[in-house]
Amino acid sequence: MTCRGGAGHGQRPSASLSRVSPGRLSTCRACTHNICMVSDFFYPNMGGVEGHIYQLSQCLIERGHKVIIVTHAYGSRKGIRYLTNGLKVYYLPLKVMYNQSTATTLFHSLPLLRYIFVRERVTIIHSHSSFSAMAHDALFHAKTMGLQTVFTDHSLFGFADVSSVLTNKLLTVSLCDTNHIICVSYTSKENTVLRAALNPEIVSVIPNAVDPTDFTPDPFRRHDSVITIVVVSRLVYRKGTDLLSGIIPELCQKYPNLNFIIGGEGPKRVILEEVRERYQLHDRVRLLGALEHKDVRNVLVQGHIFLNTSLTEAFCMAIVEAASCGLQVVSTRVGGIPEVLPENLIILCEPSVKSLCEGLEKAVFQLKSGALPPPENIHNIVKTFYTWRNVAERTEKVYDQVAGEAVLPLDKRLDRLVSHCGPLTGCIFALLAVFSFLFLILLRWVTPDSIIDVAVDATGPKGAWTHQYPYRKKVDENNEVSKTR
Amino acid sequence: MEDEQSFSDICGGRLALQRRCYSPSCLEFCLSCPRITLRSLTAVTCTVWLAAYGLFTLCENSMILSAAIFITLLGLLGYLHFVKIDHETLLIIDSLGIQMTSSYASGKESTTFIEMGEVKDVVINEAIYMQKVIYYLCILLKDPVEPHGISQVVPLFQGGRRQDHLCIQQKVSLGDGGILASSGRQKVKDTFNFFNLMFSG
Repeated sequence: MTCRGGAGHGQRPSASLSRVSPGRLSTCRACTHNICMVSDFFYPNMGGVEGHIYQLSQCLIERGHKVIIVTHAYGSRKGIRYLTNGLKVYYLPLKVMYNQSTATTLFHSLPLLRYIFVRERVTIIHSHSSFSAMAHDALFHAKTMGLQTVFTDHSLFGFADVSSVLTNKLLTVSLCDTNHIICVSYTSKENTVLRAALNPEIVSVIPNAVDPTDFTPDPFRRHDSVITIVVVSRLVYRKGTDLLSGIIPELCQKYPNLNFIIGGEGPKRVILEEVRERYQLHDRVRLLGALEHKDVRNVLVQGHIFLNTSLTEAFCMAIVEAASCGLQVVSTRVGGIPEVLPENLIILCEPSVKSLCEGLEKAVFQLKSGALPPPENIHNIVKTFYTWRNVAERTEKVYDQVAGEAVLPLDKRLDRLVSHCGPLTGCIFALLAVFSFLFLILLRWVTPDSIIDVAVDATGPKGAWTHQYPYRKKVDENNEVSKTR
Repeated sequence: MEDEQSFSDICGGRLALQRRCYSPSCLEFCLSCPRITLRSLTAVTCTVWLAAYGLFTLCENSMILSAAIFITLLGLLGYLHFVKIDHETLLIIDSLGIQMTSSYASGKESTTFIEMGEVKDVVINEAIYMQKVIYYLCILLKDPVEPHGISQVVPLFQGGRRQDHLCIQQKVSLGDGGILASSGRQKVKDTFNFFNLMFSG
């Protein structure tokens, strides 16, 4: 819950803020930014990061900023496209290497990215996801070009295995001279600060959001003669499917009118099927298999209680979605979960079968005695917690702060790299930074900034889509259509 | 009536645009690219020959030298005949059509004519070209089968795919023309008016 108490460290009145004079800060508040979001992951690919970038950009456009998105080409979708409200997307023809992430050489993308940054007059580069090579490339180039940089980390990492060690090292290099970092929960912040050896003062916490209009309660869809417990998660070890297999028989024996609906697919599905077989629970435990995101709501509204058995979680979207549908949430107390919902909407348990059963019994007792608030009320409370408008507002504060900060000049950047990233890695990347600077000088000599023409703004203060034209109403109508989609 | 304006192309070179207005319904635009300079010609020839001499000193085969001569000659011919465009003309006659003529440096001319009935729209498009992102002007042709479809996109001023500056500067003057930016391009219903507006800036 602490994460709802303001923009985390974005508002702290400490050292780095005091460098900016108050007068300058207030002018920054009023001014708008030209923001470039960079990530390998964007529509037509689907997922959490993609949705995050899209929703955040739309809300920033609404607040009067100019936003463009740079990603790599997806099949025949390359070149320049416009989305709702004039959100401009560059699909760059770069080779995809692995898992929708582009190959990185740190140099080959510089000419195009530089051209785009110059012609769009970008002032802030905002990269997303530590898995995206393009995001790291853009950070590197932006620092060479002297632009302000912000990075959002969307996932938790380990420290022990080889791949984590390597990624963590790269993250250290990439983030050591980035102006500001955003994490989705305090647990994720702690994780990122440790992994990348960062100063925690430059890390802000801004949680994800859900679209509350997608997750509305529908009490007529559930049968009040029986109690239904819903579980929606991938059926893997990390999500605690083993705990679930222990809970099901115990509760089914105790309460004859208790049913389970389980949505999701994964290697641990076999365990659940075994349990169902052994205790003859075919009519009481329904396994739905893999669910599409749009079907999740229809499953959620059939239940009374939502059970989450995760063993690790950065910021659990599933419990927010369930609470938004008006369900009582029972969850394990791990990772960032205790931050997500207030205590009266969630029952937190230790990650053990015994503790989870006690939590569920408590929820069932509350349900039977009628102590639970009606779903509509829960929805009305939850829908105010995590809105994209709020996320955009808090991200804007980060931008305002970053815009007042200085970008490290080359000599200081090299010092920082060598002192922060260890002698060997530091020197290698310092050398690469010098090469990239020389390459930039060459590019500037071949095509000077003055002959790169300025792109027409679709969004922002001089946006062609938002002002000037009487077609605005038409555009708005189209938005409605695409939003309801 | 004739006026001349100068613009720069995407590499920073100069372009001259002449606009001739023969009658209220007949307009001609002529875009002249800079001529090939003696300096650039000498530079390219010297580089090729120096490289050839370098190779010759290494492997002492005189074939390399004669090959270099042929490469320079053929390259120059090909460049003048197929690549280097001296000037491009766009003749628009209201209610009749659009004629595009490009004259190459060798004297070769190629002409295309598009009937006004085939033109669906004239748009300014944005594309990634080499390591650059450029604006270019193009004509959309109607699909004879499908009334709302587009059968072909004809880029104008091909040699002036180097003339994004031209488009972009004109676009400012287009602002008042009631142009809607839709799906990344400027749309205009009346083609003739578009050109009139476009180059009167």
